[in-house]
Amino acid sequence: MVNLLRLPGARFLSHLAIVFVIWAALMRINDGIDPLMSYYLALAAMYATAMFGMVILVGLSGQVSLGNGALMAIGGYVFALTSLNWQTVPILGWQWNPIWSMIFAGFGGIAVGLLIGWIGARLRGPYLAGLTLGIAVGIPAIATRFPEIFGGETGLMLTVPYPAGGYAPAAETVTIDEAPLAEVPLEQAPLDEVPLEQAPLEQAPLDTETAGAGDMLTADNFPSAESSPAAGDMLTADNFPSAESSPSALALPSESALPNDIDPTAAGDALLAGSAFVLERWQASLAVTAACIIGFFALNLVRGRQGRIWRAVRDDEVAAAVSGISPAGSKISAFVVSSFFAAIAGAVFAQILSYVGPGAFGLGLSLSLLVGVVLGGRASLGGAIIGGVLLVALPQLVFNIAGDRGWPANVTDNAPNLVYGLLVVLVVLIAPGGILGSLKDGTRRLLAKSRSAK
Amino acid sequence: MTTFIDYLLGGLGSGAIIALMALALVLIWRSTRVVNFAQVGQAMFTTFIALSIQTWTGSWYVALIGALAAGAVLGVIVQYLVLRPVKRSDTSGAIIATFGVLIALQAAAGMIWPGGSQAFPQPFNNSGIEFAGRVWPISIYDFVVIGITALLVLGLTLLFTKTSLGLSMRAAAFNPEVARLSGVRVSRVLTFGWALAGSVGAVAGVLVAPVSTISPNSFDILLVFAFVAAVIGGLDSLIGAISIGVFTGLVISLVSGYSDSGNAPVVALLLLALNLILKPEGIFSHHKARSV
Amino acid sequence: MLTITDLSVNYGAVQALSSVSIEVPKGEVTAVIGANGAGKSTLMRTLSGLVKPGSGGATVGGVTITGRKPEDIVRLGVSLVPEGRSTIPELTVEENLRLGGLWRDKAERNSTHAQVFDLFPVLAQRRKMRADTLSGGERQQLAIGRALMSDPRVLLLDEPSLGLAPLIVTQILELVSRLARESDLAVLLVEQNAVTALRVATTGVVLNLGKVVMVGSGAEIASDEQLRQAYLGY
Repeated sequence: MVNLLRLPGARFLSHLAIVFVIWAALMRINDGIDPLMSYYLALAAMYATAMFGMVILVGLSGQVSLGNGALMAIGGYVFALTSLNWQTVPILGWQWNPIWSMIFAGFGGIAVGLLIGWIGARLRGPYLAGLTLGIAVGIPAIATRFPEIFGGETGLMLTVPYPAGGYAPAAETVTIDEAPLAEVPLEQAPLDEVPLEQAPLEQAPLDTETAGAGDMLTADNFPSAESSPAAGDMLTADNFPSAESSPSALALPSESALPNDIDPTAAGDALLAGSAFVLERWQASLAVTAACIIGFFALNLVRGRQGRIWRAVRDDEVAAAVSGISPAGSKISAFVVSSFFAAIAGAVFAQILSYVGPGAFGLGLSLSLLVGVVLGGRASLGGAIIGGVLLVALPQLVFNIAGDRGWPANVTDNAPNLVYGLLVVLVVLIAPGGILGSLKDGTRRLLAKSRSAK
Repeated sequence: MTTFIDYLLGGLGSGAIIALMALALVLIWRSTRVVNFAQVGQAMFTTFIALSIQTWTGSWYVALIGALAAGAVLGVIVQYLVLRPVKRSDTSGAIIATFGVLIALQAAAGMIWPGGSQAFPQPFNNSGIEFAGRVWPISIYDFVVIGITALLVLGLTLLFTKTSLGLSMRAAAFNPEVARLSGVRVSRVLTFGWALAGSVGAVAGVLVAPVSTISPNSFDILLVFAFVAAVIGGLDSLIGAISIGVFTGLVISLVSGYSDSGNAPVVALLLLALNLILKPEGIFSHHKARSV
Repeated sequence: MLTITDLSVNYGAVQALSSVSIEVPKGEVTAVIGANGAGKSTLMRTLSGLVKPGSGGATVGGVTITGRKPEDIVRLGVSLVPEGRSTIPELTVEENLRLGGLWRDKAERNSTHAQVFDLFPVLAQRRKMRADTLSGGERQQLAIGRALMSDPRVLLLDEPSLGLAPLIVTQILELVSRLARESDLAVLLVEQNAVTALRVATTGVVLNLGKVVMVGSGAEIASDEQLRQAYLGY
């Protein structure tokens, strides 16, 4: 981050302008689309935030990580625990504010990133991939180990700090039947009661998808709660996997198209009713703002001195070391940065879900981040944005096709992952630059052709 | 003390299975310098095939042989279509591609065999043996598992040390150029290695399925344990994979016994981290894991 | 025996060999000498199949070998002892040797094996030891032994003197030249160490920047003052 200061002011300002324009445009768009689209925008922005870190870690510094979903868990849990337990900021005694929780989440990410980076920076590719795979499975398992702190399998419900005044008028202007969305947070407020009321995990493990996230729109849109913690549970008396895991535990998020228990038009009506608070719109503005701030950081790092250092070490460690760069330092810094980004994304995710739980941050999430960044393009930040959009849009596309053709559920549910898996292989083999890289190559070739034609 | 011994005995069967899966990872790493993270996906897929065969023929032995064959075929397909075309310089690409294969295989299995977790019939008695006036925490089935593992290890040892094919495989792994100059058809030998690893993984899958269940992702945790075992064992070493694989099984059994089975992945992660900090090249290898 | 005709090899835009023609007769040692970067190793790697030729080619007893895979070229009777680490340290001496002729009929292979042990008695003594326990000279003997296990008609030796004591180099090269005479083997020897190479070679070929600049008997080249100074730098 120190390197930010060394950047020529002009570039710094131009980055600021670019990011601001994008932010303003997205916020404007967010005001004009229907709530479901806003919700998708929120998810895509949240994914992009985490994947900015993946671009730096995987693309620029050349370290394959499967653990960034777990690093998001760090951010999510820190956010949840600080906002649940603190009324004031410790030592300073200031009034607590969600921003503080975000900051602490970021610090948590930095600390864990340092630790993993320290171990990981000295390791070659497959060792590192395995270590981070262990982290992806191990960290959510830790969360299930200390239920009194982390809420166990069930996770923790959050009181999401909606903006002052934003929520109350909505409750007044919108009746409950019309806008079940707006009403949800109220129901969820009593933290200790909710999980019990909503089919606790112990009783109906297969229902956790709905139980975990309550009535939220998101209920079906994150990896099922039993997926990755099942890893923790898998050791039966015989030490081997038991029945709990669902067929889609590796499943990437947003498995199902539409939230089945909520009619999106209801929220749309609420919107028409006037200045109503629309939850999804708030979620999107939060996620987009966070993504833009992180994106601004990332842009300055990637295009600055630090970016060149990362690339130099990735391309030739020995040469980099000879020219006075510490390869280990470079790799650790990439881990710390990506971990920080992941933690912020995790804190955003926690607020979008108004819930944190081991299932939301399982191996599926980690893998989906890798898939997204590989498909989008691992070499540049634009790839992360494309990846974020892809992770949200592709399943919808597949579900729409599946719906039109009337495929059975088992095919439909698995189709997105099949597409992801095959696409990842194809991209690695044919277009290692991902979608963005291919687009860039394509335009370059076209330009060259038109130039030679002249 | 008796409980301690009981826990150790209870961990032998699962240790053998972890050892087999670790062995499959090592077989491929040695020859192609790729950690095949899709290995458990392949094993899961072939175990489903075995389940279908078992349902169809009613014979566990036919199912086991079917899984062996299917594992070999799938290994060859994965190597031929995915890993061979990846540029050797793109190590990140190879790792990512194996995860792509894993995701695709799990999704495909979910499509072909719907219905989530399925039970795999018990081929042998899996309750504790009664002997000397008490029930021991080890079953006939555990002995079958240990026996098959031992047979496979013995077979592989003979293959590698006594046969021309085994010598070709080792030479191709250590120095492909000299192997080619000596007349070894290295690419064929590598493909054979993938087939062999596929079969070994498939056996592990068929052996683990009756004591757990089978679903598209039910082997994910096995991948973590096998990877931990293979890395601590040195990734290059067959003996390392076997012994640390069994050791991992014992540790998991102790951890599950004395605390809670949910702690096992955490302990495995700690073991891995500790190993990577202290001796990243593993216990049975003198190759370098660290690059800096 | 080995006929190289108009062989050219490119590495991208760089031409490593241009129109090289060399005749390697059987029963003799032919030495290719030249400074670093003259294209000597490229020549060896092309003849053994590790590098694809740009144009031209080489034949052994009338059969074209260039453009084929290394594992097929060995089967046609051309065996390379590559530069440097050409034994596999993790394997035993015996295994390194066996590796050289795995594809051959077992009885024939065993008889060659016995001949190699006769030729290099030290290898017979150390047969069960890992190759990395051998001394440099012993390892070079093992590398040559491995190449001989394929019962070649043409033996390609790439810088055998590298990193060895002069006395051992002389011993090894004299052995190679005796082998050429006695088994009617065509030996192509590539050396930077011209003096040693020309001592055992019937014919010397001077290579510079990928081109053949002179062909002559070993003695002729060794006595050509100008040539020595221009291309060999001593």
